[in-house]
Amino acid sequence: MDSLLVQHLLNWMVLGSIYTLVAIGFSLLFGLLNVIHFSHGDVSMVAPFVALASLQAFLGLVGSSAPAALLLALAVAILATGLVGIGADRLVIRRFRNSPAMMALVATVALGTAVRELVRAIYPQGSNPKAFPAIVQGNVAGLPAQPVLIIVTSVAVVALMYVLMQRTAIGTRIRAVAEDRDTARLMGIFPERIFAFTFFLASAVGALGALFFASHAGVVRFDFGVQLGLIGFSAAVIGGLGSMNGAILGALAIAGIESIVQANMAEGASYRLVFVFLLVILMLCVRPSGLLGKPVMEKV
Amino acid sequence: MAMTATHTHAPAAFPSALIVIAAEVLGAALLWGLLEANSTPVVLALLGVMGAGFALMQIRPQIEDIIVGAFRAARGVALWVGILIVLTYPILLGANTYAMHLVIVALLYSVLALALNFQLGSANIPNFATGATYGIGAYTSALLAIHFGLSMWATLPAAALVATAFGFLLGIPSMRTRDSYLALVTIAFGIVIHQMLNNLSWTGGPNGLVGIPAPSLFGHSFMQPIQFAGIRLPPQANFYYLALALLGLAILSAKRLHESRIGLAWNAIRADELAARSQGINVAWYKILAFAVDAFLAAFAGTIYAFYVSYISPDNFTFLVSVTIMTMVIVGGMDNTFGVIVGAFLLTLLPEKLRIFSDYRLLFVSVVVILFLILRPKGLFPQRQRHYGAHK
Repeated sequence: MDSLLVQHLLNWMVLGSIYTLVAIGFSLLFGLLNVIHFSHGDVSMVAPFVALASLQAFLGLVGSSAPAALLLALAVAILATGLVGIGADRLVIRRFRNSPAMMALVATVALGTAVRELVRAIYPQGSNPKAFPAIVQGNVAGLPAQPVLIIVTSVAVVALMYVLMQRTAIGTRIRAVAEDRDTARLMGIFPERIFAFTFFLASAVGALGALFFASHAGVVRFDFGVQLGLIGFSAAVIGGLGSMNGAILGALAIAGIESIVQANMAEGASYRLVFVFLLVILMLCVRPSGLLGKPVMEKV
Repeated sequence: MAMTATHTHAPAAFPSALIVIAAEVLGAALLWGLLEANSTPVVLALLGVMGAGFALMQIRPQIEDIIVGAFRAARGVALWVGILIVLTYPILLGANTYAMHLVIVALLYSVLALALNFQLGSANIPNFATGATYGIGAYTSALLAIHFGLSMWATLPAAALVATAFGFLLGIPSMRTRDSYLALVTIAFGIVIHQMLNNLSWTGGPNGLVGIPAPSLFGHSFMQPIQFAGIRLPPQANFYYLALALLGLAILSAKRLHESRIGLAWNAIRADELAARSQGINVAWYKILAFAVDAFLAAFAGTIYAFYVSYISPDNFTFLVSVTIMTMVIVGGMDNTFGVIVGAFLLTLLPEKLRIFSDYRLLFVSVVVILFLILRPKGLFPQRQRHYGAHK
């Protein structure tokens, strides 16, 4: 294979991995709560800033730029973002459990703005773009190490998510609450605990996606979460909301069209969003409930 | 409370007309205070007064019923006093051009919010593309005016036509998709339009279009101040009255549509789409119609905006603009014309008046929106029960 094709394929897989990590959160929360967590992208984008801040703190303490410091900072960022997700639910989203879906949607949109603006206000010179370091440098088996790391880690995380959902007690509980909240409660499951855990999980996985996004781009800004969230949401929807397989498929489709446009069009970079969202409209015209979404049968 | 008001009649002790006049004057005074206030404590105090008013209504719904009943009983007085207040409002603002500018923008946003309300409020269709149809209207008329020298009055119908065509186009996917899926279709449409405006060369790219000529009416240029009976109003007053006329048109169409079979069909779709279909309502057609009506009104607002500021760029029509319009509808009260307008004014003025918080104002606004949604979940002015043909 020529190296240009390999590069495009790698680019596709990297974007696909990042979008999958964000899309899974949307799908998970929609499957469980029937709520579109529109601030998911903004919550996830908290992670790179926590990582940058803790990296500086660690370097200040240790004094050397050990790779361990970066890994530790990433771990702190993922945990902290998971907690931010729980906080978002506790403070805002929980209050709209029984409201019409539109109310929850607008509330999470406002919440997203609040999270974004908080990041900007708290982080020093938060309005400016910040450089974000690459996680690894060099090559592995003739391929650049960073993309390979992103792809391998993402595949592993997604595989773990499947194991968690299908093979563990907590996964069974999540699925039980998603199926029927009241019956699950009768079986001795506390739905609110399950909600908290799911928000933590979705936000932590989204955080990983946002960290990869920042590291892949080499830069991060407080409002990157809007676009990442929109693309993650689109991936989850065209795949079929509530389906994890669908989220992966949707993410790969969107990343695919983005890579193709970037590789083949002179002005690909500026028109990529046009093509991405035209694809979204087209796919929803053909498959109104997403690729793997169950068509809703209504009973009167 | 001693007053046991029924839903339709105010107690005799307070004539309806007095309640109506008091409410309208109070509303106008509050708005004036908010517009003229320059210091943070005053703005916050006014917001506090408003908050207290709504809190009181939340605790004692009878008060709300009395006021609504009074407005229903004295509709003629309400209408004429209201018209008198809005017509003389520019005199009240006088030479404060900044306040006038805010009111004009708020009026245009009221039209946009009413346009969205046809879908979101009446038929429960989530549409995140109002900002896009607004932009299509603005760009169509700006391009026609710049390249073909058309006057604003000629571009108005042209822009409406183009935007309505886009509205129909956007409505087509809505025949099959629903809820979150439909929401995404409209989001995608809005982003595609914004990105095209941002990238195409003939729309000026990110720099937008400049030098949109000022309109004129019967030889009176809109750049000229209004002089009438010894009163001199700044040139912006022209656009104030124009935007006001458009809002009047929007309110009238909202009322007519609400009372027609179309409005009834939309409400039926909102209540239960499947049941509506079983009743023989052509759901797909009425959904598309909702998109077309939204685009039509939004294009008018876009045209007036373009000619008013004489400069437009893609940044005026982003996804976040659509979200803001949607927030206005939901905070104001879905399917309640008056509530939607209050929502539009509040969300236009709030960020401007909180400039003192500079970097924190968006944060503040979003927190206020969340608080509103939690504390008054049906909006500031919830929709009243339909009284279709009751007052005849």
